[in-house]
Amino acid sequence: MIGHQRKKLQTMGSGPVALLLIAPAFVLFTLFVVIPVIQAGYYSVFHWNGMGPASDFRGLGNFRQMTQHPVFATALQNNLVLIVVSLVVQLPLAFLLAMLVGRRSFPGVMIFRSIFFFPYVLAEIVTGIIWKFIYHPQVGVPTMLARLFGADGAQIGLLGEPNAAFSAILVVVVWKYLGFHMILYIAGLQGVSKDLEDAAVVDGASKLQVVRHVIIPSIRNTIVISVFLSVIGSLNIFDVVWALGQGGPVHSTETLVTYLYNFGFRRFAFGYGSAVAVVIFLLSFAFNFLYQRFIVREQTNG
Amino acid sequence: MADSTARPISGAPQARTRRRFPVVRFSVTAVLAAIIFFPVYTNLMGGFKTNGQVFADPFGLPRPFTLDAFASILGRSGEFWHFFYNSTLIAAATILLTLAASLAAGIALSRISFRGRSTLYNFFVMGLMFPLTVAILPLYLQLRDFGLLGSRLGVILAEAAFSLPLSIFIITGFFREIPWELQDAVAIDGGGIMTFAVRVCLPLSTPVITTVTIVTLIMSWNQFLLPLIVLSDADSFTIPLGVMQFQGQFTTGWNLIMAFVTVSIVPVALFYIFLQRYIVAGLTAGATKG
Repeated sequence: MIGHQRKKLQTMGSGPVALLLIAPAFVLFTLFVVIPVIQAGYYSVFHWNGMGPASDFRGLGNFRQMTQHPVFATALQNNLVLIVVSLVVQLPLAFLLAMLVGRRSFPGVMIFRSIFFFPYVLAEIVTGIIWKFIYHPQVGVPTMLARLFGADGAQIGLLGEPNAAFSAILVVVVWKYLGFHMILYIAGLQGVSKDLEDAAVVDGASKLQVVRHVIIPSIRNTIVISVFLSVIGSLNIFDVVWALGQGGPVHSTETLVTYLYNFGFRRFAFGYGSAVAVVIFLLSFAFNFLYQRFIVREQTNG
Repeated sequence: MADSTARPISGAPQARTRRRFPVVRFSVTAVLAAIIFFPVYTNLMGGFKTNGQVFADPFGLPRPFTLDAFASILGRSGEFWHFFYNSTLIAAATILLTLAASLAAGIALSRISFRGRSTLYNFFVMGLMFPLTVAILPLYLQLRDFGLLGSRLGVILAEAAFSLPLSIFIITGFFREIPWELQDAVAIDGGGIMTFAVRVCLPLSTPVITTVTIVTLIMSWNQFLLPLIVLSDADSFTIPLGVMQFQGQFTTGWNLIMAFVTVSIVPVALFYIFLQRYIVAGLTAGATKG
């Protein structure tokens, strides 16, 4: 990783000095990241309430229990839906925004850019609360729209509706992270060769063709990163979902992390909760591995 | 493209001339901006209304315009100021700890040759693969065993620990790029590694220090899960926890909730307006760590 890329004039510092400098970071990182991560793996095979030593060994029992729990299935499914929506709805929208405000500018373009980016700066919890009012059953936007179109006295409480609540949350998630991906694409667009684009236009390419054959291939790296962050972020979503209903109504909006919190932490089921954590990690890891292997590698070769 | 030779004559000059005001593009952008800003707008207005008005006219302008909700949030109970103080304290301490630990480690990992250097570097960077959520339960037990449950220090230590992989990655990468001639020059003048670190590296590090500060600040300021499990006493709550609790207490007083949310957004908004350039640079640097 680190090559000795020079002829040394004089070696500076020594092993002990280096270790002394690294020590604070090492201790902090080991105590609060490495050990807990390893423990999560260890506890995942026990039935344990966090008191005394973990001794009730269950083998893969926790994982088996998970596969039989319908709420876990809902959580997993919600996470997958979220990933699909992020990739199919959020990323194209973010790209569109980047195309609108990221290039040849018009007056006020920076203001628009800030407006699009602003939701990302908000705390997830704050985002959730703002949207809770937008979805308010009595005066929220869905209710008002329904009344506008003639349904007098309609009351639409999407967040209270098990069949609709998660869709309502999806809207909030897309709203929240759209601006972040837009910024990534704007940065990517700056690397697109203007000459190449002009050449395509000169050759009679339509705007769509320019986007399809010049711009998108040029920002491939950015897309690769944006997809990666979307998937990993989706697997770990918690705050927004929590603020909009803590996984309810009747567990319909549960995601893997709210499931971990509700069925692990809240019930002092540290073994079971750790098993859920292991599943989340394995999913991220598997994705990371396959992605690096098949997508990122291809990119560095091509 | 049969006519590719004919086109340049008519096409090229057009592409080079200054474009007129892009009406369609502007209109589409404006409509999207209005839709995207709408929830924030609703909240901003709501704080200046009476609760009755929030429900009578949820999306209109405040009429009459009242500061009662803000007065009640910022006055009397002073709860908000508690939360604000806690968030600031935790974020500041987390940033300082993260910077100190990763600048020191970064120097050693980039500038001193010793056995096991790349192993140690990989050990830290491997941490990028582990989000906080994966370790949250054992982390809770770990903090409990250290007697740090309910304490802000517990939140600070854990947040700093999880910030280390990215900041060490960014800082070490930056230090590696500092020309070796500078290190040799220090050596010729009889200086050691600390002289080099303090006199040469640190003054050059403003960009990475800014990046790490911003990334850590946003992470800490918005962090919810960790303080949720660690802090139990409302006196030590951060803003996200406070907002959540406040919202639970006053489910019917939406003007109060909205005023509270607005006040909690102000520091973030100011921060964003003044540091926009750095924030975007910082986040893009953080994101492209791949």
